[in-house]
Amino acid sequence: MKEKVLIIGGGIAGMEAARQLQALGCSPLLVEKEHGLGGHVARWHKLFPDMLSAESLVTELEAGLSGVTVYRHTEVKSINRLKDSYSVKLSNGENLVVRAVLLATGFRLFEAAKKEEYGYGVYDHVVTNADLEAWMNGFPDERMPEAPRAVGFVHCVGSRDIKAGNSQCSKVCCMTAVKQAIEMRERYPQAEVYCFYMDLRLFGKKYEDFYIGAQRDFGIHFIRGRVSEVGETIDGRVQVKAEDTLLGKPVKVILDLLVLMSGMVCNPSASALAPQLRLEIDSDGFLRSRDNVAGILESGRPGIFYAGACTGTKTVPETLAEARAAALRIYQYLQA
Amino acid sequence: MKERFATGFDPFVIPFLIGMGFVLAYCAYGILRILFQLSREDRRRFLLSLVTPATALKNIWDIFCNCLLHVKLWKRNRLLGFMHSSIAFGWFMLILLGHVETVLFVPHRINLFYYPIFFNYFVAETDATLRGAALFFLMDFFLLLILVGIALAIIKRVRSRWFGMRRTTRPSFLDTIGLYSLWAIFPLRLLAESFTAHISGGSFLTIPMNWIFRQFFGNNLYMLPCWWAYSIALCVFMCVLPFTRYMHIPAEMMLIPLRNAGLRIRHPRKGFARVEVLSCPGCGVCIDACPMSADKANLKDCTVYLNRQIRRGNERRIREISDKCLLCGKCEELCQVGVEGPALRIAQREMRQYAVEPDYAAVDMAALREAASGSKVLYFAGCMTQLTPAVGKAFESLMHKAGVAYTWMDREGGLCCGRPMLVAGRRDAAQKLIDRNTELILSSGADTLVLSCPICYRIFTEAYHLPGVRVVHYSRYLQGLVLLGRLKLEKSDICYVYHDPCELGRGCGIYAEPRKLLGQAAMIAEAPQTKGESICCGGSLGSISLDFAAREAITRHALENLYASHADAIATACPLCLATFSRYANRPVRDLAEIIDRSSV
Repeated sequence: MKEKVLIIGGGIAGMEAARQLQALGCSPLLVEKEHGLGGHVARWHKLFPDMLSAESLVTELEAGLSGVTVYRHTEVKSINRLKDSYSVKLSNGENLVVRAVLLATGFRLFEAAKKEEYGYGVYDHVVTNADLEAWMNGFPDERMPEAPRAVGFVHCVGSRDIKAGNSQCSKVCCMTAVKQAIEMRERYPQAEVYCFYMDLRLFGKKYEDFYIGAQRDFGIHFIRGRVSEVGETIDGRVQVKAEDTLLGKPVKVILDLLVLMSGMVCNPSASALAPQLRLEIDSDGFLRSRDNVAGILESGRPGIFYAGACTGTKTVPETLAEARAAALRIYQYLQA
Repeated sequence: MKERFATGFDPFVIPFLIGMGFVLAYCAYGILRILFQLSREDRRRFLLSLVTPATALKNIWDIFCNCLLHVKLWKRNRLLGFMHSSIAFGWFMLILLGHVETVLFVPHRINLFYYPIFFNYFVAETDATLRGAALFFLMDFFLLLILVGIALAIIKRVRSRWFGMRRTTRPSFLDTIGLYSLWAIFPLRLLAESFTAHISGGSFLTIPMNWIFRQFFGNNLYMLPCWWAYSIALCVFMCVLPFTRYMHIPAEMMLIPLRNAGLRIRHPRKGFARVEVLSCPGCGVCIDACPMSADKANLKDCTVYLNRQIRRGNERRIREISDKCLLCGKCEELCQVGVEGPALRIAQREMRQYAVEPDYAAVDMAALREAASGSKVLYFAGCMTQLTPAVGKAFESLMHKAGVAYTWMDREGGLCCGRPMLVAGRRDAAQKLIDRNTELILSSGADTLVLSCPICYRIFTEAYHLPGVRVVHYSRYLQGLVLLGRLKLEKSDICYVYHDPCELGRGCGIYAEPRKLLGQAAMIAEAPQTKGESICCGGSLGSISLDFAAREAITRHALENLYASHADAIATACPLCLATFSRYANRPVRDLAEIIDRSSV
């Protein structure tokens, strides 16, 4: 008989793990609270560094799910530990008994409105990185200007910010900002594009090339300094005040669009499940792994495993690699 | 009534005389020292106030109400009030009645200090003393009152919650000695008077006790040990008094006239500040009041411990406590003697020396002057409003709807109001900012200055001198526009709980206007601790050393109080409270201007 494995979260980590577990001969049950699979990536436009279409990645992952039981619009209501398995109650009324649980709950975007000084939700032309991607995917957004002459990106919104309650680096936003800056510049060649950063963390393959290209080929202005204040001019444009810490001078820029690079925080549904399974929460608010070197996938509880951004901020390739590793780890656990 | 001893003396009075002499000498020296520590102008003002009939009467009335009757404590908790006033007023009446007895029966002994105190030992009742019965009754009555008070005080040590206090102060070693000797005085007095009652006479308390004692010990009661014990207890209490919290008894009688004379803290340790520190009775009301007590780590950083450390001269702790405080002013609001916790801390901060003085010479005053001129109404948003743009935007929209021509003087940047510098103890730096802003406002020709930040509003009302300019908080200003009919509000069915910002409520006494305004736009619920007792949001710029982790506990504690009102959302009138609460709140937090803007038509 095939061993049942519950996967919570139908993002890219959950889908990839389900596909791998299916291939390994297990019976994965994928629970997704929304209708569509793919999570944040499904709402994204293009993925760095190869500008791969996010949609094609999600389609590819979804195609691998044939035979996998997928519960859409479903949430886990409660989980109880039995002797060597878990009894799970779903919001659609079904009760399942599974041998292992994989948490692939991912992250939630930091609420940019909490950084009130940036005026998200107050000014007419302030959006987040996610809003911009959705708009690039063809969803109309009235905050987007017709033909912008100047566009700004604020890095580290709710990341590395103790005041906002998050001290961790969200890792992907530097590169996302560079990518989006280039995309805006390509769409609006006449627009000046500014990036306000603390420091740029371009650690991955080809990221640095991207950054150099953004300056050399696209003429994007990188200004090192946190934005101090955002205001609105009488004609409704966005006025940004910052300090250029390289020049040691205050700068004031008037923009048609300001994009806030919202960081990642732990998905609240993971935090809600944690007490039921007696899982620990780490100091950064994400789920705590057994250790952060060789035991990232392990929760410290038998039969409970982690994959993806529920344990910390991760890029898409890292998440996919973790999902595969988690599938293998669960397979070994079930064999033992 | 006749005297028992021709000498009118017995050696047991010596301990009392030592104690009394010591405490009187100490207080006399203390008063002189304080007087010399005052500045010449303050001293003159104080001495003049003592001979001005109105203030002199007020002094007597205040001392009677506060020191003897503890009226403020009664208002807070009846049991606590009863406990304190029974001891203080009862003791006062015992002393007063002792003097009355001496004057009535043995007038030639009134010049002896100890006679009224030990009256019952020195006199014997005669057959004709029935006219003293009323006095005897009163003496016993007040002694009983005090004994009830002492019993309550003992209960309070274990069950402070019955007296409306969660936490009380940990007494220091000398405080404990003072406390036990104070507790001992009155039972010993009861014993001593009971042992003597068959000779000196007594009333409903002492006579039955005397009868009981005679059943045990026979008719020849040996009374002297009780009188010695009573005298020694008094001696111990008075000798430790200057070094314990009981110093508040004489100090408060000095504080009230000083305050009524209009004096303020001018030196961190001397003069008025010294009297305030000594007036702290160490009751610990400020421990429960302090928002920082949400976190146990800060329990010893409230005003009562600041006063104790100042008395001990522990500079490290004084600095630590002074820097940590949020200056929310709740301890001052609840303090029974009116110790100004925030002002005392700011005075300590002023002792610090800074290597670099800020220089505002590079500020382009011409551009700012240009930005400020143009209309009769000026709006000064301040830095916190700039950081919470929703507030400024809502205010702008409201002014537009009401059709008021105004100038947003710091829209393109401006000068700080100076309050952050002032609370950091940098008075000179703050004054530079005040002078520049004053110049900007006066040269603009405006007659009204509207402020949306209570932090700015407080310093503008307290430290600025702007003749001909009405300084007004926007809650009051908008209320005025509503009354004039220039703003029309529609009441929504959202229920808000209004959070009183420290600087606006306790700082400037504005409680009613924001509620009145909010009440026209939405439903209002009240939190359990509200108005003067509202809990600081934790974001206050008053604290120099609290970090974000420590502030989070305070913010969550304040939010719990607001949640208890079961309102749908939180309203406030301070951009800093707004920003702080929205970080952790589980329901929407909105500024008053936003709410009014949404419901105005």
